[in-house]
Amino acid sequence: MSQDPSTYNGGSAVAMVGKDCVAIACDLRLGQQSLGVSNDFEKIFHYGHVFLALTGLATDVISVHENFRMKTNLYKMAEQREIEPESFANLISSSLYERRFGPWFVGPIVAGLNTKSGNPFICGFDYIGCIDFAKDFIVAGTASEQLFGMCESLYEPNLEPDDLFETISQALLSAVDRDALSGWGGVVYVITKDKVVKRYLKTRQD
Amino acid sequence: MDSINVDVGHLKKGEISMGTSIMAVTFKDGVILGADSRTTSGSYVANRVTDKLTELQDNIWCCRSGSAADTQAVADIVRYQLDLFKTMNGRSPSTRLSASIFQEICYNNKDSLTAGIICAGYDKGKGGQVFTVPLGGSMHQHEYAISGSGSVFIYGYCKENYKPDMTKQETIDFMKTSLSQAIRWDGSSGGVIRMVLLTADGVERLIFYPEEYNEELKD
Amino acid sequence: MPGLSFENFQRNEYLVNQAGFKPPRATSTGTTIVGCRFKDGVVIAADTRATTGPIVADKNCEKLHRISPKIWCAGAGTAADTEMVTQLIQSNLELHSMSLNREPRVVSAMQMLKQHLFKYQGQVGAYLIVAGVDPTGPHLFSIQAHGSTDIGYYMSLGSGSLAAIAVLERDWKQDLSKDEAMKLCATAIQAGIFNDLGSGSNVDMCVMEMGKDAQLYRSFMTPNVREKKQRNYKFARGTTAVLRQSVFDIVEVVKEEEIPVGSSDAMDVDH
Repeated sequence: MSQDPSTYNGGSAVAMVGKDCVAIACDLRLGQQSLGVSNDFEKIFHYGHVFLALTGLATDVISVHENFRMKTNLYKMAEQREIEPESFANLISSSLYERRFGPWFVGPIVAGLNTKSGNPFICGFDYIGCIDFAKDFIVAGTASEQLFGMCESLYEPNLEPDDLFETISQALLSAVDRDALSGWGGVVYVITKDKVVKRYLKTRQD
Repeated sequence: MDSINVDVGHLKKGEISMGTSIMAVTFKDGVILGADSRTTSGSYVANRVTDKLTELQDNIWCCRSGSAADTQAVADIVRYQLDLFKTMNGRSPSTRLSASIFQEICYNNKDSLTAGIICAGYDKGKGGQVFTVPLGGSMHQHEYAISGSGSVFIYGYCKENYKPDMTKQETIDFMKTSLSQAIRWDGSSGGVIRMVLLTADGVERLIFYPEEYNEELKD
Repeated sequence: MPGLSFENFQRNEYLVNQAGFKPPRATSTGTTIVGCRFKDGVVIAADTRATTGPIVADKNCEKLHRISPKIWCAGAGTAADTEMVTQLIQSNLELHSMSLNREPRVVSAMQMLKQHLFKYQGQVGAYLIVAGVDPTGPHLFSIQAHGSTDIGYYMSLGSGSLAAIAVLERDWKQDLSKDEAMKLCATAIQAGIFNDLGSGSNVDMCVMEMGKDAQLYRSFMTPNVREKKQRNYKFARGTTAVLRQSVFDIVEVVKEEEIPVGSSDAMDVDH
């Protein structure tokens, strides 16, 4: 079993920026190495209007999610408002780095719109909290290499929400089809100023 | 690894080391410290103009060899302790005290430190003095001392050519020849030769470039 | 660093030693960074590629960090470490300068960084070039992860440091002008960008000059712009087959609807 813990359960996620919108997507697989265990393991969570995808070791995905649920609730009580994506990104960064020498094995992605400016925001992290600010797309998980390739070719800036949905969905679908550890269903969130649309994709089941 | 020479293989992975040729020699008017200027990280020369001669007090200096990080950290602590001693007691600390502080730190932390130090100083009472604090954390006083990976090549030369109470120029020439040979034969030593002269007149710094100290580079 | 949590340490040790897992790879800056002094100032520069093993994780990351308004630092090594160590020292230096009521000094930043890194015995993988101007003058230092420091007129660090130092050793001379120093640093970084696999994309630069505000030139040079796509891969709306969708008003569910599969002109997928 000479592999790293973040590939034990499998799973992938991706986020993209469009015109006044962002999209974030993940697969639904949870496995134990080659054995598939569950096909409804959603890896995208939201805290107010900020969305977080967590790939990596499933036990840590749940722990980290619960931890951020607590932290964002405390933040909401202290500040009397929901946390903004930029602040949430820094919260994640410092929370992960706090465990620099005993890390959570997760690969988080943040996506959301800033309520004040309306600007789309996405970013990704390594497992010890180094932020990757990107203007276009962010990928994570066991199919990250495939997702990098798909996004580099399919992505274009300033897509409308409906077009962004097609682009991110096709990028995810094609990427996870070439990863044995990802797939088994997919979820896509398209986030705009006044609504969030969540879509379950029809995917291969092998 | 023996008691004088620092085992570079003992270094932590990727650590910057000073595979060094350093020496300090007492003479008629005081003491002179000398060193090469090469710092290496594996086979890469990380710095070719390093200053391995570090000031602890106006009249007390040290030559560092071994891990750059360890020796800098220890020298910083010793300098702090000596400054503290001076403000608390209103008088300058002795060369022996400086070496003793080095010795204590190096002994207490012998398992985690790679530091081979020559501590030398001048004061009116004792004149020039030289102490070595090798790897295990012992302390020895000498008339002259050589250390570092390059020193193995010049034990014989130094033993044959050192004379007590040399003049300033004789001492400089002796050290220049010794260090140039150490640099010549040791791959981990190189660059310029730096010297610091500690006498009643204060501090004097000297630098010798390869074109000057290396006979083979002369016309 | 006070407050570091080792809660997961034993579990992770077990995972690595007993269960036979190997630790995952952190983002590394790969990196070419350089620094160079000129007549009355100092300039530092960096490339903008971040890597995870052989994968380019970020094509345009920022490796130039502000420690104080006139003290900047270029970081190589483990990306998270360079960022966090630099943020920590930034905070501590500001508190220090407020308590002394003096402008922060470069030597203070350097000393705080080296003592922090030494304490962690190389485990915090930050390799830094610290530069800046203070009332004492312009300064340029490099710091290794184990806590050793070097002083110099010019220096390079990171996986591209060999390519960069070759340029610096060839072109550097005493008393460069500001423009000459900037040009030299840019050339050295480009040597890294083109010849070192761990470095790439753009040149970022920061110039700190006595009596002036520090100037950050983000994307000082962009020698690797991707050619604009001549055509696109835009999909027709409805390409992706959707099982069901729900619409949220951010948090509250507004409506949920089932879309019968196959009713749309959805793309054919395997069954």
